Amino acid sequence: MLTTEVCDVTFSVVPAGDGMKSDTCAATIVTMLLSAARCNSRSPPGRPVLLGCRSPDKETFTCWWEPGIDGGLPTTHRLYYQRERPEGTQECPDYRTAGSNACFFDRNYTSIWVDYYLTVVASNALGNSTSDELKVDVMDIVKPDAPEHVTLKAEDREESLSLHVSWDHPRNVDTKSGWVTLEYQLRARQQQQQQRRRGGGHTNNWKEYKAGRQTQFTLYGVHPGTVFVVQVRCRLDYSAWSSWTDASYVNIPNSIRKEKPFWMSILALSGFLFLAALCIVVMKRKSVIQSLLPPVPGPKIRGVDFQLVKSGRAQDLASALIIQQDFAPAMAWNDYIDDDDYLIVSDHNTAGTQQRSLVISTSFSSKDNGAEQNFKDLKTTPTVNQEDCSCNLSIHSSYVDFEAHVELELDYSRVKDVTSDNIFLLESVDVPRPEKLREDYSKVVDSEMLLLQEKSNQLDCLKKLPPSNPQTDADLIDGGYVDAILTPPLG
Amino acid sequence: MPRNLTSVWLLLASISLGSRLANVAAAPICANGQTRCRVLSLANLFDRVIQHSARMHGISNELHSEFQEQYVVPSRNHIGRVSRNCHTSTLLTPNGKENAQRIAREELTEVILKLLMAWRDPLWHFHRIIAHQHDLANFSSDKALEMSAMVHELRKGVEKVAEKMQTLGMISNSVSTLSSLEDLLPSDSGEWRLMKDHELLYCFRRDSDKIQNYLKILKCRIVPEHGC
Repeated sequence: MLTTEVCDVTFSVVPAGDGMKSDTCAATIVTMLLSAARCNSRSPPGRPVLLGCRSPDKETFTCWWEPGIDGGLPTTHRLYYQRERPEGTQECPDYRTAGSNACFFDRNYTSIWVDYYLTVVASNALGNSTSDELKVDVMDIVKPDAPEHVTLKAEDREESLSLHVSWDHPRNVDTKSGWVTLEYQLRARQQQQQQRRRGGGHTNNWKEYKAGRQTQFTLYGVHPGTVFVVQVRCRLDYSAWSSWTDASYVNIPNSIRKEKPFWMSILALSGFLFLAALCIVVMKRKSVIQSLLPPVPGPKIRGVDFQLVKSGRAQDLASALIIQQDFAPAMAWNDYIDDDDYLIVSDHNTAGTQQRSLVISTSFSSKDNGAEQNFKDLKTTPTVNQEDCSCNLSIHSSYVDFEAHVELELDYSRVKDVTSDNIFLLESVDVPRPEKLREDYSKVVDSEMLLLQEKSNQLDCLKKLPPSNPQTDADLIDGGYVDAILTPPLG
Repeated sequence: MPRNLTSVWLLLASISLGSRLANVAAAPICANGQTRCRVLSLANLFDRVIQHSARMHGISNELHSEFQEQYVVPSRNHIGRVSRNCHTSTLLTPNGKENAQRIAREELTEVILKLLMAWRDPLWHFHRIIAHQHDLANFSSDKALEMSAMVHELRKGVEKVAEKMQTLGMISNSVSTLSSLEDLLPSDSGEWRLMKDHELLYCFRRDSDKIQNYLKILKCRIVPEHGC
């Protein structure tokens, strides 16, 4: 048996024996369908369902319902309520403010700590239906709106980076009269790249913070170069939490410190400049050293090549001495030296036996004859062959035969020790001590060069002296030393 | 004879001096605004009392939700109407912000005190019941005890606030003292003994919320400049 109920009319199809064939069944079905088509347009409404109520501020509240099956006719819904006090059933004061299928109770109709018994009645021309009763105490249905104007600001403090979050209370909550106290909670997390694609629906790795009653909060220890997501919610006294605000994103910049790049650039620039200065100094070290440490003036005897003298070879020395050059008249030089002074050039053989010394008269220029005479006188003096300088000077000591003696070379190697200054002028016959003479010799070499320079012509002349006393000369020459005595000026 | 008189005078002088010294020792600690002693201002007292009441309401909330899980109270699908007859239903209390702001300060203070006094015995009784029941967890018993103690302390605190307000002339002296309030209350008919645990908790949760809100409204009416 097939039973259906359409528009409160029960159709039952009973197969009546064998006579019932498919055609009868089909006819019944068609009839049912036609009836159904007609019935859908008219019926009492279905039972509505009260969904719930909510108070955003503990001063007003709103209730919503869901209509039942539409009966095909225009249906009206009414909400009725009762309270403990005052007694009596009343109707919803405001159907419009909260939208369709909702009832809004404003301040005048809201009583806290009082039970409301709500029902919704749906009615149309054919009838009405009543929803189940809903008991509501406004105290229990408080749920505020989400906080507003969430602002995020990344801050840079001395040691750390922080994120400052601030917000406002929901607009419709009265915080002035002390009636309600708002409590806030916020949650934050670092935005993951893959979550962005999925819309960030992860519940893990959210960090929750209680902000209490303040409308701001600071998150410390945020990492630079990341994106942070922050949400805030609130509740009234001990009510249910509001929904989270929309996610707010903030990008924590990488190098938020403004000072650091400045100092880094200064440091880099100074380092670069220092390196450049160093390169320049290294490249021009010679000129730098020259300017910083003025060189020791080397012996500058015009006409003498000092380098050849330094080399230490006898023939070099000779050529050094005999440089053909113009040089200043002796007058200029003689101004500094007394005419009657003599110069002793001596060297002391380290073997100990012989000592050679050279006496050069400085007054040759003006008293040539006298000088020659002097030299002649000197010839006769015996030679010295002891260490200490009892220096017998011979006239032939006015010149030195450089070429023949090795010892001379040795002695002349001392030339390298040349220091500047002092022309040692001996004014007495007494021969100074060998050390002095040694020093003098070395010193004298400086001035000797000068003198010899002056006397180059003289030397030439001297060299060309006929070997009137060849033996003596040879002795002298063979002895490899120059003996010289200082004689007082004659005349 | 003069020697005796002198000795008597000396004795009297010493006694008076000693008493004066004793008086100084017995003087209130916070006389003349000494720096060491901090006299609590009315705003401070209010803040403490409000914090206390908020804490109390929080505990009652927790206990109520715990009991609601254990004892399923049909809220929507029950047949007929279970009207919660809290024993404090007879008290006339303002049912909203405007009402609380409209009634006199003295009346509001009295309502708070009456509520607090009405719950002293039921909560103590409730705690004892909970402590004896073995099937309930221990933390419920601790919370019940804390709640009971808090009601007691909160009442003392509100009484102090009322005294201070009267001293400062902010409210008239018509606020009844503790003893007279007890007389005003309906005699302890033990209505609250009929309540079941969850009903009691529901009623107390409601009343503790009332107390908290009334105190906040009162504070902002009396001392509005301090965080209202």
